Amino acid sequence: MTPEIPFYMVLGLVIACALGAVLLRGYITSIIVLSIFSITVTVAFAFLQAVDVAMAEAVIGAGLMTAIFVTAISKTRRRS
Amino acid sequence: MRPRHLAGIALAVPTAFGLAALLLTEAVVTSAPEGPAGYYLRNSIADSGAINVVTTVLLDYRAFDTLGEASVILASVAAISALLAGSKPERTEQGLSPLVQTSIGYLAAVFWIFPVYIVFHGHLSPGGGFQGGVSLAVLVILVYVVFGSTRASQHLTPSLLHGAESASALGFLLLGTVGIAQGFAFLANAAAGFPTGEPGRLVSGGVIPLLNLAIGIKVAAGLGSIYLDILSADDTP
Repeated sequence: MTPEIPFYMVLGLVIACALGAVLLRGYITSIIVLSIFSITVTVAFAFLQAVDVAMAEAVIGAGLMTAIFVTAISKTRRRS
Repeated sequence: MRPRHLAGIALAVPTAFGLAALLLTEAVVTSAPEGPAGYYLRNSIADSGAINVVTTVLLDYRAFDTLGEASVILASVAAISALLAGSKPERTEQGLSPLVQTSIGYLAAVFWIFPVYIVFHGHLSPGGGFQGGVSLAVLVILVYVVFGSTRASQHLTPSLLHGAESASALGFLLLGTVGIAQGFAFLANAAAGFPTGEPGRLVSGGVIPLLNLAIGIKVAAGLGSIYLDILSADDTP
């Protein structure tokens, strides 16, 4: 499979989302950008015909990790 | 933006692009694979009867490694439960608005079809027990978020999830010992007498669909109970 222009665009989006997850202010913003990062990585895996890995990445990265991170941060942020 | 961040970006972006370019040039397969990969591609359907080669590698040739992966999840569930033990489940969550509750109440009856399809077609199409199990765990999380832990914990109790996880782990081990009882290796598939069936049918692949089902239940219950443990953690230290 020869790499094509859309695949490079997806890779650029992956790097942009990774930088955004690190650099943006606010925990919730970072978590949402991290789940968008997982979706873009899923698209990249689908381009590379690794559908098994893409499915696992989508479900874990965008679904499970987002829920666990949001719950953990909402439980630890405010201390009385 | 602080200089520290700029230096980090200046390091990270070229590294990421370089790694991506390297992986792309190395990932292109130009000739027929040799060694174990070639053997698996040529003989997997004849050996196991499952047309998905990835699943055959995961649950037939390398089933013992898959048992190790499942043990990792079991160990992490046990560790998180031990860390958060003693905290009372939070009973004040009321869930989202009645509009969302009603619509999700109807839609959740449809949502479980996708994970179950992924699990049961693991030997035919991409996916398998792990992917379907995580989807099912996300469905458990959805029910808890939408309906609130007060109502959800009456039906999807943590003890139910723990019991399902332990039972499916035990089922995986028992399916593996059938191979030993027949005089072959642990987790043997066709050699242990499991019928491989006609490749491409839903009932084919010998023990692989059963192992997929066990892993699916185990992953769903394990990851769901991890979320419930975090949800019920004491947030007033």
